[in-house]
Amino acid sequence: MTTIASAAPTATSPVPAPSDGPARRGPARGNAVGQARWIPYAFLIPGLAFLGVFFAWPAFTAIQLAFYRYDVVSPPEFIGLDNFATAFTSPDFWQALRNSALFLLMYLPLVVFLPLLLAVLVNAKIRAVSTFRLLYYLPVVTPMVAIAIAWSYVFHPRGGLNWALLELGVVDEPIQFLLDSTWALPAVVAVEVWHGLGYFMVIYLAGLQAIPQDLYAAAALDGAGWWRQLTSITMPLIRPYFAVCLVLGGVFSMQAFASIYVLTGGGPQGGSSTLGFYIWSEAFQRFNFGYASAVGLILWALLLTFAAVSHRLSRGDAA
Amino acid sequence: MRPRSWAIPVRYVAMAAVALLFVGPFLILFTTALKPSDQQVFSFPPSLLPWPPAVDHLVEAWHAIPFGRYLLNSLIYVVATVPLYMTVSALTAYPLARYAFRGRQLCFYLILSILFLSPEVMLIPRFLVVSELGLTDTFLGVILPSGLSASGVFLLRQAFAAIPAELPDSARVDGANEFRIFWSVMLPQVRPTLAVLGIFGFVSVWNNFVWPLVVLKDSDKYPIALGLAYLDSTLGADARTVAAGALIALAPVVIVFLAMQRQFIEGMQGSMKG
Repeated sequence: MTTIASAAPTATSPVPAPSDGPARRGPARGNAVGQARWIPYAFLIPGLAFLGVFFAWPAFTAIQLAFYRYDVVSPPEFIGLDNFATAFTSPDFWQALRNSALFLLMYLPLVVFLPLLLAVLVNAKIRAVSTFRLLYYLPVVTPMVAIAIAWSYVFHPRGGLNWALLELGVVDEPIQFLLDSTWALPAVVAVEVWHGLGYFMVIYLAGLQAIPQDLYAAAALDGAGWWRQLTSITMPLIRPYFAVCLVLGGVFSMQAFASIYVLTGGGPQGGSSTLGFYIWSEAFQRFNFGYASAVGLILWALLLTFAAVSHRLSRGDAA
Repeated sequence: MRPRSWAIPVRYVAMAAVALLFVGPFLILFTTALKPSDQQVFSFPPSLLPWPPAVDHLVEAWHAIPFGRYLLNSLIYVVATVPLYMTVSALTAYPLARYAFRGRQLCFYLILSILFLSPEVMLIPRFLVVSELGLTDTFLGVILPSGLSASGVFLLRQAFAAIPAELPDSARVDGANEFRIFWSVMLPQVRPTLAVLGIFGFVSVWNNFVWPLVVLKDSDKYPIALGLAYLDSTLGADARTVAAGALIALAPVVIVFLAMQRQFIEGMQGSMKG
C-alpha cells in the first residue's frame, strides 16, 4: 500500500535535515534550542493509551479467550483447544468459511476490474464529468442499512429485477433472491460491489491522472492505437493502484456485515453467513464468546495470510 | 490527433447509462416512499411514478420510531468522535514526524500493527474490554474505541513532515514552547489533512453499524443506522414507511457529501498519492 510504503522514516526536525552529517544522527539527540527529551513522549501519551486500551488489551484478550469456554454469565473455564476442535467439526463453521471464500471470489474481481473501466470512462476533460464521478461515488457515503433496504425492493419477488428477468424470458417464475440458498449470497455480494465501486474508481482515477499525458502523445505519434496505449502505457503504470485495490478489496470483503444483517440475516440456514457474521452471531446471539473468539483467531490467521500473499504479489510485480 | 467526432457523445451516453445504475436504488427509495397507500408498491410491470405523490409515509416513519432522537444521537456521536480522533491522531503523528527520540521506530510499528487488527476480529474482545470498563450501553462506549486510527496517524505524519523546518524554528527563537508551537504553528499547517480526516470521520461514524449494535442495549442511544434497521425489522411489511425512514437516515450524510464534494474526491485521491 502506498501509505505504508511511503511511511519510511522521513525528515526529523526540529533542525533541518539535509546538511546533517552522520555525527548528528542517532536517537534522542538534544538540539540547538535545548528542548527537553521528554517532550515527544508527552505528545504520545494519549495515542499510546488508546493503543493499549482498545487495541493491545483486546488483542491479548482475544488470544486468551479462544482457549476458554465463556458465556458471560458463568466464569471462564479453560478448555485448551476444544474451541478449535469444535470449529473444525462444525458444519456451520465450514459453511461460513466457504461463504467467505465465495464472497471473496465473487467480490474481488468485480471491485478490481469494473472500477478501472469506470475510471477510464470518467477520466476525460469534458463538461459535467465531475457530476458523473459524484453520482458514482454517492453509494460510498450512504449508510449501508439504507442501501440494503433499497436493494431488498429490487430483489423482491415482485420487484424490478424479477419483472425484467420474466419479461426477457430468463426465468419462468419469480426468484426469491434473498430466501434462496443459491442466490442469497450473490445478492449480498452484488449490493456490496455496488456500494464500493465508486471508492475503487477514485483510487484508479488518481492513478490515471498521475500518468503524464505526453506519453500518450508520443505513443500516438509512433502509431500506437487505442488498445496498444492501454496495454503498453496505462496498464503498467496503473499497477501499483491495482495492488492497492486488490488488498483493500480483500479487506472489505471480510467486513461485510450490515448488508447481510439487513438483507438476509445470514440465511437461509446460514446460506449467506460469512465468517465475520458467524462470529458475531455465535458471540452476541448464542453467547459462545470463547468459541467465537477461536473462530475470530482463525479468521485473523486467514486475513494475515491474505495480506502477506497480496503484499508479496504486488511487490514482486510493481518493483 | 483529433479525437473522433462520435467519441464524446458515446462517452456521455455510456456515463449516463452507468449513472442510472448508481442512482436507480435511490430513486426506488424515493418513489416507494412517496407512493400513496392505494398504489401498489410491487407490481408487474413496476409502477415507477408515485401518483399522486404522498408525504404521509414520511410523517408516519418519523413517528413510528423516535427518528429525532436517533438523528440527535448520531450527531452526538459525530461531534464527539471526530474531534477526539483528530486530536489523538495529530498528537500521535506529530512527534513521529518531527522529533528524533528513543523508541520512535517502535512506536511507529506499534501504530502500524493496528492495521492488522481487523475490526471483525476485534469485535468480541473489544466488547469485553468495554464492559470491563463499565462502558457498555453508554455513549462513551460507542465513542472511545474510535479515538485512534492508524490511517489518520499516517496521513497527519506525512503532512507534519512536509512542513519546512524554518517555521517551528523561528517560533522557537521567539521563545514559544514546544506545545505552543504544535498548537499555534504546526497544527494550522495541516488543516487540509485534518479537513479530509474530519469528512471521512463524519461518514464512517454516521454509517457505523456493528459496533453500536454490539455495545448498546437501550434503544434511546441508537444512532440513526441502528434505528433504521430497527424500523426495518419491525415494520418491514410496510415498504413505504421503511423507504421513507431510509430517506430520512441517508439525507444528512448525502447533503454533507454534496456540499463538500470537492474535498471528498480530492481528499481521497490525495490520500492515495501519499
